[in-house]
Amino acid sequence: MEKTLRLKAKELLESGEVKVVIGYGWNRSKTRTTPVFITDPADVDTLVWNPLCVNNLSLYLTRKYKEIKALGRPAIVAKGCDIRNIVVLITEGQFKREDVFIIGMTCNGTVYKQDLWKGELTPNIMPTKCHNCDVRNPHVTDFVVGEKSTFTPPEVPTGMVYDKVKDLDSKSQSERWAFWVKEFSRCVKCYACRQVCPLCYCERCITEKNMPQWIETSAHPRGNLSWNLTRAMHLVGRCTFCGECERSCPVNIPLNLINQKMIGVVKEAFDFKSGYDEKTHPPMIVFSPDDKENFIK
Amino acid sequence: MPRIGVFVCQCGNNIAATVDTKKVAEEMGKLPGVVYTCDYKFMCSSPGQEMLRQAIKENKLDGIIVSACSPHMHEKTFRKAAEGAGLNPYQCEITNIREQCSWVHHDKTKAAGTVKSIDLTRMTIQRLKKNQPLKKIKIPVKKKAMVIGGGIAGIQAALDIAEGGREVILVEKEPSIGGNMARLSETFPTMDCSQCILTPKMVEAELNENITLYTYSEVEKVDGYIGNFTVTVRRKSKYVDEERCTGCGECIEKCPFKVDSQFELGLNKRKVIYTPFPQSVPNVPVIDAPNCTKIQKDKCGACAIVCGPKCIDFKMEDKLVTEEVGAIVVATGYQNMPNERFGEYGYGRIKDVISGMQFERLASSSGPTGGEIRRPSDGKIPQSVVFIQCVGSRDEKKGVSYCSKICCMYTAKHTKLYSHKVHGGQSYVFYMDIRSGGKRYEEFVRGAIEHEGAMYLRGRVSRVYEKNGKIMVQGADTLSGNQVEIEADMVVLATAVVSRDGADTLAQRLGIGYDKYKFYNEYHPKLKPVETVTAGIYLAGTCMGPMDIPESVAQGSAAASKVLALFSADEMAREPITSVVNRTTCNACWDCVTACPYTAIEREAIKDRQGNVVRWVAKVNDGVCQGCGVCVAACRSKSIDLKGYTDEQVFAAINAF
Ligand SMILES: Cc1cc2nc3c(=O)[nH]c(=O)nc-3n(C[C@H](O)[C@H](O)[C@H](O)COP(=O)(O)OP(=O)(O)OC[C@H]3O[C@@H](n4cnc5c(N)ncnc54)[C@H](O)[C@@H]3O)c2cc1C
Ligand code: SF4
Ligand code: SF4
Ligand code: SF4
Repeated sequence: MEKTLRLKAKELLESGEVKVVIGYGWNRSKTRTTPVFITDPADVDTLVWNPLCVNNLSLYLTRKYKEIKALGRPAIVAKGCDIRNIVVLITEGQFKREDVFIIGMTCNGTVYKQDLWKGELTPNIMPTKCHNCDVRNPHVTDFVVGEKSTFTPPEVPTGMVYDKVKDLDSKSQSERWAFWVKEFSRCVKCYACRQVCPLCYCERCITEKNMPQWIETSAHPRGNLSWNLTRAMHLVGRCTFCGECERSCPVNIPLNLINQKMIGVVKEAFDFKSGYDEKTHPPMIVFSPDDKENFIK
Repeated sequence: MPRIGVFVCQCGNNIAATVDTKKVAEEMGKLPGVVYTCDYKFMCSSPGQEMLRQAIKENKLDGIIVSACSPHMHEKTFRKAAEGAGLNPYQCEITNIREQCSWVHHDKTKAAGTVKSIDLTRMTIQRLKKNQPLKKIKIPVKKKAMVIGGGIAGIQAALDIAEGGREVILVEKEPSIGGNMARLSETFPTMDCSQCILTPKMVEAELNENITLYTYSEVEKVDGYIGNFTVTVRRKSKYVDEERCTGCGECIEKCPFKVDSQFELGLNKRKVIYTPFPQSVPNVPVIDAPNCTKIQKDKCGACAIVCGPKCIDFKMEDKLVTEEVGAIVVATGYQNMPNERFGEYGYGRIKDVISGMQFERLASSSGPTGGEIRRPSDGKIPQSVVFIQCVGSRDEKKGVSYCSKICCMYTAKHTKLYSHKVHGGQSYVFYMDIRSGGKRYEEFVRGAIEHEGAMYLRGRVSRVYEKNGKIMVQGADTLSGNQVEIEADMVVLATAVVSRDGADTLAQRLGIGYDKYKFYNEYHPKLKPVETVTAGIYLAGTCMGPMDIPESVAQGSAAASKVLALFSADEMAREPITSVVNRTTCNACWDCVTACPYTAIEREAIKDRQGNVVRWVAKVNDGVCQGCGVCVAACRSKSIDLKGYTDEQVFAAINAF
């Protein structure tokens, strides 16, 4: 697969069809993959593809990365799950479909954290999303690399995150509250979760709005709670469950749980899953005369 | 330091019974920035308002708070009074201590009500400190109106607007104006002939210089806002040049093909080139293209041969025209619930089971039988007729839950018409209740029963079937407690008045609301009966719900008076409570665009000196924005603020709590 990928990257750069290829490369000690931005066709051999390619690179297409935008039209190496974020970005007007060349990678799953890699991809080191993935054959692409995957996701989603959500749902309201207050109290307000989220592309985050300061900036429980709840609410109907926020959190707050819970609620209420169709806006922000709810008419 | 005045209203005993207004005033006086407080029996009364003006002047107040009833009631009153004393009206804020305090806390010791009033007023004070003086928005008004729907309501609206000296475009989707009223025979309660009173109005509409008729036309698209709408109208091809046609009717005469007439509700045929009825306005025929062999197969063309001024053009196409108007009146009327829904009454199975509207055609002197009551199956004069009321109305399960309001009246009218036209005939009416509220209406129904011999049976019909050439109607007579079976020659169903097919599509194009039956919503059922939530769009007639001719006409005139009032000035002033976008932080995600129920937000390109687009941002159109605040909630980066309800104001209020 790597060979096909490199050839395509080369061709795209040489023809001038794209000005930069955003993909994965090795770190110096070849223990982890890291994002690479290739502008010179001579460098395409830096590109790699393996189960360590876990990062969601769609982040680098957002308005937060002006210097990458300045390079010119990008091609991006993307797994199906990353493409779901690209689709949301297109829906939200951040760029047009034709503004990006998507090299879709057929995927058999990645590791949850790169440190878990022992040379073999076993189910227990894969994240919940991979076990339930319905886009192993990437769904929106300009070019596909890899053999067709025959994997079919289980009918009822399974895995650790779902189990934990179920477990939490079975608890009383006060127990749940106590659980989250405790979890969020560890937050150090580093905003790593926000920085890696491809959908947190606001140039001025609400946390930085200080006239008035809706969200307290110091890392004490009240401010933490309002930050974490706002983050969750701003992703309702948008979050694709890529898991980057939880992966990046230095204090291991289970952000996947809250995200997955919201995804479930939206699925239940509106039968909507984000990141499949660029024409459909997340249901929470659409005024429609045929809304299921009658009260608004 | 601000100089704030707080005026606490007792509202007679409405507030004072459970809120210690004096204490509220005293407590507020202790807060920084508050330089004047008082409490008074009725702040909204003339002396109350005068007191407020005096206090503003004497104490040089730069902001005031009236703690009284809901801002819906008197915000306008007090803002006006404040303005009278030289204050910016938006420096006056209301605290609702009636609906939110005294009316919900019944504690006679006044403890709870007083504490809450103090809290709420304190919050409003903090909020007021962050207020910005606002200026009313001025919008230019295009003094030309559009009326959609040329039934009696629409005609009346158009005539009144035209009389007021303004131009009107009357858009009607059928080839002629007139609507349902054109079908009626005689009209309750006066029994004057419908055509005789309608035709003069139709002709007046055609001749009035201020009225442009667009018949056979439909509204495709509506953009803009009050004072400045741009409407795209599809003028369907008539295949006849309207300008040159003399209305001689030779073409209709010569056309060899006949199809069912929609106007006659299937009781008669019409030609393929036709006018719906003899008195049509304009008197210009149209070709029914799907049925025309010339248009479909290039055969015939008889009409074009006989047409003297040669105005038939088989190649004519639909035209889209755009019109700029300042106001729109919607008067698209009603239809009757399709009888096919009522199999149990034999409709569709038994030819002589007809609808009330079909009966109107039988009774009409310009109808298919020339005004003689003859049944459709064999043309015989029916000797006994059963009328069934509430067919589909007040029937949650199979029809609609509401009362169609006019059926009691027109059924009584039908029995009268029948007894006048068929001497010796017997009519029976099955009814649930008789509802005849209205001037001379009860007398009208009583007349039918007492003087015209109609037999009224209270109860529902359970079955209608055919036996030996008769229609057997089985039902209950709940007053005598008996089951009855009547042999009838004809059955007439008073089918429910329902909204028109496609009423919802038009409403969506216009951005107005409708209820679950797709009748259009008025702004306020009592106090704003012809307005809609979309400023500049008004309603008239049965598109809002069942009503009779007098009501439809009254609404037509009411809507016209609203339009004329709007057109009386060159500019109109609007409340400045609209949203503004912070252009430096907007992400151009367009969430606000999809969320705004009034499509008030546009995409704006910011360009550099060379004209290159450097970024896109959202832009609120002040003319359209209704200040609902939905966009503020939708914007994740908090780049939208609602004037009069800014983040800073709301934050300050919350913080004071
Ligand atoms: C059987 C029967 C008997 C009745 N008898 C009486 C009576 O005796 N006395 C009395 O007071 N009332 C009577 N009524 C009630 C009366 O018919 C109505 O009150 C009246 O006709 C309502 O007028 P309108 O203008 O609101 O609607 P309509 O007459 O329905 O007119 C609406 C017009 O709008 C047009 N239109 C619809 N949609 C569009 C569109 N999208 N674009 C452009 N044009 C459009 C239609 O073609 C139509 O011309 C009777 C009703 C029935 C059913
Ligand atoms: S990454 Fe974790 S610690 Fe950092 S802001 Fe997010 S939740 Fe808090
Ligand atoms: S929702 Fe906010 S950020 Fe998005 S386009 Fe509107 S104003 Fe801009
Ligand atoms: S306040 Fe309401 S009407 Fe005005 S722009 Fe925002 S969403 Fe639209």
